[in-house]
Amino acid sequence: MPLFKAKPGEVNRIRSVSCTDKVRQFLFTLGCSAGEEITLVSVLAGTFIVAIKDSRYAIDMNFAKSIDLV
Amino acid sequence: MKIALAGNPNSGKTTLFNMITGKAEYVGNWPGVTVDKKMARLKRTYRSETGGRGHACRKRKGLHPECGHCGGKTCQGQHGRNRIDVVDLPGAYSIEPYTGEEAITRDFILNEAPDVLINILDTSSLERSLYFTTQLLELGLPMVIALNKQDVVTRNGDKLDVLLLEKLLGCPVVPVTANEGAGLDMLVEKTIRAADGSGPAAPKIPGRGTPSESTGRQQFIKNILSHCFSKAHSASEITLSDKIDRIAAHAVFGLPIFALIMWAVYSFSINGLGGWASGYVNDILFGKLVPDAAHTFFTSIGVNPLLQSMIIDGALGGVGAVLGFLPLIMVLFFCLALLDDSGYMARVAVVMDRYFKQIGLSGKSIIPMIVGSGCSIPGVMAARTIENRNERIVTIMLTPFVPCGAKLPIIALMSVVFFPGATWVFPAVYLIAGLLIVVGGKFLKRVFQFESAGSFIIELPAYKLPSLKHAFTQMMKQAKAFIFKASTIILVMNTLIWFMQAYGWRLQPVEDQQASILASIGGVLAPLLLPLGLVGWQMAASILTGFIAKENVVATLAVILSASEETMAIAGGPLTALFTPITAFSFLLFNLFTPPCFAAISAMNMELGGRRWLFRALAFQLGTGYMLAMLVTQFGTLLFTGRFAIGAIPASVLFIAISILIFILTRKKNKEAPSELIQV
Repeated sequence: MPLFKAKPGEVNRIRSVSCTDKVRQFLFTLGCSAGEEITLVSVLAGTFIVAIKDSRYAIDMNFAKSIDLV
Repeated sequence: MKIALAGNPNSGKTTLFNMITGKAEYVGNWPGVTVDKKMARLKRTYRSETGGRGHACRKRKGLHPECGHCGGKTCQGQHGRNRIDVVDLPGAYSIEPYTGEEAITRDFILNEAPDVLINILDTSSLERSLYFTTQLLELGLPMVIALNKQDVVTRNGDKLDVLLLEKLLGCPVVPVTANEGAGLDMLVEKTIRAADGSGPAAPKIPGRGTPSESTGRQQFIKNILSHCFSKAHSASEITLSDKIDRIAAHAVFGLPIFALIMWAVYSFSINGLGGWASGYVNDILFGKLVPDAAHTFFTSIGVNPLLQSMIIDGALGGVGAVLGFLPLIMVLFFCLALLDDSGYMARVAVVMDRYFKQIGLSGKSIIPMIVGSGCSIPGVMAARTIENRNERIVTIMLTPFVPCGAKLPIIALMSVVFFPGATWVFPAVYLIAGLLIVVGGKFLKRVFQFESAGSFIIELPAYKLPSLKHAFTQMMKQAKAFIFKASTIILVMNTLIWFMQAYGWRLQPVEDQQASILASIGGVLAPLLLPLGLVGWQMAASILTGFIAKENVVATLAVILSASEETMAIAGGPLTALFTPITAFSFLLFNLFTPPCFAAISAMNMELGGRRWLFRALAFQLGTGYMLAMLVTQFGTLLFTGRFAIGAIPASVLFIAISILIFILTRKKNKEAPSELIQV
């Protein structure tokens, strides 16, 4: 299931992140990689507010599409 | 000794830097505020933390075989004087850079070999922060870890065993709260002690050197934290910040809320308190008190009238015209610092992302523009945080459209003189700036055929109550910079301008300004302003000086008009001899939306990475500002007076020429597209 279809407030596990190596490496350093937990907090103004580890990030549809959940 | 500060974005490096060096570098509660390295000396109060050894060093000034500080090996120069420099670096999530400013951090740490590192961690996002920490530990440099934002940890009720963490990482760990100064004595002491020793042992990451290294690293961190850290709340719980975000970054209300906040800030600064204080300073202080006092003083000591005129009309008059707007700028920066500190700016990026996607940019591009509302130079530099090159170029070209602090005096002056009592001038200017960014962005995307591959991610810091002390410090810093500029470059320029308008080419004083050096230089350029309805060398001269510093536009007009014995910044002042309200507005727009001052142009040159893009950027900005001013004059005059403005004929010719040019530039893409189709 892609991230943008997740239910807000539910803790999910990441299955895979599909994007360029550079972006994947960057997301990895934030803790956004296969096997890690991610929570979709809310969807605001077309961007997705997610909780990864202890931080909040706003990501756009391009990112949200590339993150696949278990 | 050199101490480098490294850590994740928004972990508080610059706050710590300011505290231990006494500087007032720009701090904001959002990631990516610092985009360049900054160096300053450690404060004296902290230097005594080095204890006896440091004092011995300073006393002996270079001869000290037994100096404890460096073991007597290299104790010369910097060591010998006990000079301790602190280097603030841009935030990075990892040693492998993702954006330009992260590369600065990596290069500094790897190539400049600081004597000791302070790795600052935001304790409220410990797990992520430790990723960079473990990478830094592998470099073998002496290092101390500062666990920042302890106040947040205490409030959340999280439990962290600092001693155990220290043991597991093999590196000194000091809990601090940088913005309150708590724990900094201990941090500096431990850092200086660490610099003497050797670096920490590299952490034992499973699978080091293999492709699974980074996974091993995450595992290593999880393992450490499971031993020494327990959280009171799950990260996925909905916090107060999340609830505020649901309103602040709402799909429909987000933009109006942003507009409302900005309107409130600007109207308070410009029409409210700031405007009132500026009015007083302009009319009473620099309008009467200072010139009268100076006049009396110089007459009493018998100064030559011409010299007197140079000092009062030239130097004082011009600088006064600029300094008069200081209260306005101080109030504005105070409000913006409060807003900045609250964490709201990161939300603006979220709100704007959707709209910026339309012009091939992303929400990240709003940050350089917000920074640019203070000064275009850091604004243009802030574009480094944008990863995509095309987006970065377009952002750099558009950022100077946001009126910077130096342009405010021009807006305020024209507003006071030609539109007294009107509250629409400032909002209109910012609205036009917004429109130009949208239209300009679309145009650039079309002309350079940029594809919008942009993907957007930004960390959202939790909201916090803004600190008044922080806002006050930032305000005083801006005020100091403004006064410094006024008393140096603007003072010198004004004296020069006064001389040029009072003397002819043969260096003889002239009765009539028309015969002066300034008039003849301005006269050469004046014809170019004719299509804008601006007639006279005075406007050309002040526009020219504006490229040195935008405040000069106001200062130069003040010097040129000083003969009239009246304060310039009052309704219907002497400026009405040069402008109609419509040409005044057009002149204002021309100064705001043509290229910025030389300093900002050189920043653009650096960030665009070459002359080629710089020329394109300047041509684009000049074209935009010129075209806009021309349209306002010509259509405005026709609409409000029913008559054609001066220069209507050359303006029409130009308008047609520019329209054709735009048509050709934007059509290129359509032409090439079919030829590709044919090949296929």
